[in-house]
Amino acid sequence: MTAQSNLDERVIDEALAWQAALERDDADWDGYMAWLEADPRHREAFDSIALTTAMVEEHKDAVGSLFDVQGVAASPRPQRRMRWALGGGLVAALVLAAGLPLLRTGQAPSVYAADTDKSRAVTLANGANILLSPASRIVVHGKDAARIELASGEVYFAVRHDPSRMLTVEAGPYRITDIGTRFSVNLSGGSFRIGVSEGAVSIASDKADGQVRLQAGQQLTGGADGHLTLAPVAASEVGSWREGRLSYSDAPLALVVADISRYSGKRVIVDPSLETRHFSGTLVIGDGSRLLPDLATVMGVAVHPQAGGALRLGGADR
Amino acid sequence: MNADQEEEVETLYGLHRGELRRLLNARLGDSVEAEDLLQELWLRARQRPVGPVGNGRAYLFRMAQNLVVDRLRERQRRMARERRWSDQETDFAQAGMEPTDRSGTAEDQIIAREEVAALASAIANLPEGARRAFELHKIRGLSHAEVAAQLGISKSGVEKHIAVAMKYLRRALLR
Repeated sequence: MTAQSNLDERVIDEALAWQAALERDDADWDGYMAWLEADPRHREAFDSIALTTAMVEEHKDAVGSLFDVQGVAASPRPQRRMRWALGGGLVAALVLAAGLPLLRTGQAPSVYAADTDKSRAVTLANGANILLSPASRIVVHGKDAARIELASGEVYFAVRHDPSRMLTVEAGPYRITDIGTRFSVNLSGGSFRIGVSEGAVSIASDKADGQVRLQAGQQLTGGADGHLTLAPVAASEVGSWREGRLSYSDAPLALVVADISRYSGKRVIVDPSLETRHFSGTLVIGDGSRLLPDLATVMGVAVHPQAGGALRLGGADR
Repeated sequence: MNADQEEEVETLYGLHRGELRRLLNARLGDSVEAEDLLQELWLRARQRPVGPVGNGRAYLFRMAQNLVVDRLRERQRRMARERRWSDQETDFAQAGMEPTDRSGTAEDQIIAREEVAALASAIANLPEGARRAFELHKIRGLSHAEVAAQLGISKSGVEKHIAVAMKYLRRALLR
């Protein structure tokens, strides 16, 4: 756009002065036209001022509510451009995120937790509908539930997009924004997974600058080692736990096992020989008791009961 | 709009058509685009009631100015979309995959969201005085006089702060 060229300060000052002058009833339109015609840089300067004004005007409500939530305008964060290191067959569309501070408020957070044997539906103050899978927990912060923290487990979100509303879902080091969609987020056993069934979301991480854009039919998985994989996922399989199935596509075993632990109520230990394995497939939840044996069968490994009621997946019997 | 009003708009437009063309030419630096916007201005003017004829000229001039800004904004958004697409294109081409969704409205919402973020961050980075004056006036909608009273400074002090803020934001937003 026009503003890249080096217009000197004087021209910009003149453009600002004209912009203010034209707001008056007795504006000197002839003088303004003569000024524009005197030098093409005048037009360029006026364009840039007019565009800036238009952007401010257009977004003032959104910016205002953002400042409301923050209490004070926050301290700056340097902007850098760094690409996420992504594994997997797909490469995400990356956008540069402006250094936007986390939303903080003085309001006391609310905690919602689902029992170990059933899921729990919650409608938040901002109209977002969420469903917590069994033994999952979220913490809702701020006026209008602007920040939702997934403490553990898996939660399905159905959120209508509203550009004037800043809604952030945090899961460990990951931050999900720009939400207008249906998606399921899982934070279990140190692993992270988000699948989008409708719409799109942006995901940022404390560990990298920039954002990953996730569209319907895509999932992003992060292992405990921080390795990220973006892959396609059937939209119908996103949040399939709501229909009694656990579906995985190349998921870290730690995440699968943590899910099973939640549903079965049993502590599950993964043999070190399987730690780096991934799992793809669907398990029927039922009462939770068949999940681990089924997983073991599919993977061709054994389940070993341990002292204290825990179960160990894989490795030799001992 | 009744027949009288329509006639009034026509008279007004006929009277100022030459000047409006001059303004649009000066504003756009392109006579073809200026002619195009002049047509659009005419179509729009006919659809809206007009104030007293005394203000008619300024009314039409402001309308012309707004049409130019709308066009600039549209061009700016289009460039943002194209930038995003070409980024995606490159990335997906490398992976041999097709981009999944290019829905215009979703894209526009992302762009709007990014603009809001950039704007909030740029305002937060302003020098303290300029930031407070700018926020009260441009974001909260207080008048210059109200901002002056609230900050305990003169009206011209407020104007200077706003000018500093505008210059800074212009640089930050239109890189």
